[in-house]
Amino acid sequence: MKGYVVRFSLRQRIEHLFVMILFTLLVVTGFPQKFYDVGISQAIVNAVGGLDRVRWIHRIAGILFSVATVVHIAVATLIVLLRRAGLTMVPTKQDFKDSIRQIGWYLGLAAEPARFDRYDYRQKFEYWGMVIGSLVMVATGLILYLPVPFTRLFPGELVPVALVAHSNEGLMAFLVVITWHIYNAHLSPDVFPFDTAIFTGKISRERMHHEHPLELARLEGESPAPPHTPSQGAGSGTPPAPAGNA
Amino acid sequence: MAAESPKDEVDTCLSCHGEKGTEKKLPSGETRNLFVDRAVFEKSVHGAKLGCTGCHPGYQEMPHPERPAKDAQEFRAGFRDLCKSCHFANYTKALDSVHFAALSKGNSAAPFCSDCHGAHDIARPNEPRTKISDTCSGCHSGEAEAWAKSVHGETLAKTNSADVPVCTDCHKSHAIHDPRTQTARLHSPEVCAACHKDEKKMAKYGLSAKVYQTYVGDFHGRSASLYAGQTKAAEKVIAVCTDCHGFHEITRTDAAGSGVLKANLQKTCARCHPGAPPNFPAAWLSHYEPSPKKAPLVWATALFYKILIPVMIGGLVLQILLHLWRVVVNK
Repeated sequence: MKGYVVRFSLRQRIEHLFVMILFTLLVVTGFPQKFYDVGISQAIVNAVGGLDRVRWIHRIAGILFSVATVVHIAVATLIVLLRRAGLTMVPTKQDFKDSIRQIGWYLGLAAEPARFDRYDYRQKFEYWGMVIGSLVMVATGLILYLPVPFTRLFPGELVPVALVAHSNEGLMAFLVVITWHIYNAHLSPDVFPFDTAIFTGKISRERMHHEHPLELARLEGESPAPPHTPSQGAGSGTPPAPAGNA
Repeated sequence: MAAESPKDEVDTCLSCHGEKGTEKKLPSGETRNLFVDRAVFEKSVHGAKLGCTGCHPGYQEMPHPERPAKDAQEFRAGFRDLCKSCHFANYTKALDSVHFAALSKGNSAAPFCSDCHGAHDIARPNEPRTKISDTCSGCHSGEAEAWAKSVHGETLAKTNSADVPVCTDCHKSHAIHDPRTQTARLHSPEVCAACHKDEKKMAKYGLSAKVYQTYVGDFHGRSASLYAGQTKAAEKVIAVCTDCHGFHEITRTDAAGSGVLKANLQKTCARCHPGAPPNFPAAWLSHYEPSPKKAPLVWATALFYKILIPVMIGGLVLQILLHLWRVVVNK
């Protein structure tokens, strides 16, 4: 038996890398516009080569990000419809129970932590937060990019609504990434200093045993498929991840 | 002769220059009037303080030193530095002005000290305040007339209040910069803000003191602010106060012809946003801060995030801390 399990497909790894680069670009070119009166904003604008260039980078990165979002949702929908993968990312009642149990364990109220399948409730929460946040950013970003065509069909007041939503949703996404995501991918004692799974696609069997015992058991044929997964799942609409079988 | 009192000195000089018809022929054929009216000089701000040589040093010598002026323009130029020895600060400011730049490029119509202040008849330049626009209108008559009909000009005529801006309040008096440059344009909101964010002053006239804050907080103002601070020239024109409200001709926002009147707004927006549809002007909140009454959707969206962000981040950070605590306890 190999010491690792393939957790993420090449498409998922490329998708993560792509989003990571675009997200960074969007934050670097977006925040100086939000926090225009903070000294470093002007320094960033000048370093990039002026506000016009900042805006072009922001728009191009935004368009690429929008395309990535649409492609992700389309591919995920298609894969689910074609039943090539299970609904491993869909929140279930079990996730709610898991979250109660896990927090109970943190607090010393439960003897054992929750046992997770392919995605735990925290990962699902972050994933859906990201999907909904992306849709908000894409829609409001487009409104801000093309206010004239937009107001041909919709009331003008939605433009400043879009500005407030874009600006705050972006801030929230950034804060979630630098706290929650950085903790879970880097600073958490479970993975410190670097959870490489999303880059290499591989996760150690030991970590699987610790973090996703139900999926591991299923992959290794030790238990029947869990109730909400028709086949061995592979995330948000990916081909089934091959098990690390010997 | 140097020990003469100013009064004696004036008497001495006016024994010749007090005669009407005292003049000098220049090589160009032009003549310069050298007559000084005693009554006018004595009434001037310098009348009681300065004698003639205060401004015309060296002229106590008889015959006077030769002035090598070919024509009237050169003759005038010879007096340009006379104010410097007492009014050094304003003199150096004027050297930075658009007027001096025009002069140095050879535009002889460009004014320097005495063209605006006069010479032997110098009086306080701002008494009454309307005198300032009269002075500028000598060359800039179109602008001065537009200003006189504006809400600023009309209010000044009615009240003579020091609150109301005259030419020099916006353009400065000595360090007058070219208002047509991009730098001047991008910094112009600060010029308006000097009065329009002054709560006391605005309250007197029933005006909002939040117009600057609401402008800078929105897309146009943020852009202008970042453009103003960047080293590269801005590629795009971003709206500043004057683009919607006008310059010298600025009216009350509810005056019939005002570009910011609701009926005219679509046209005003379309000057920068071609094809702006009727819904477009509502995208701008007209300097109002979002509230349940004005722009309720914007207000509600802002409130939603004001609650969501701390709850979200607080909740996640709390879970991180709980996790860390469990890890430490289990060790």
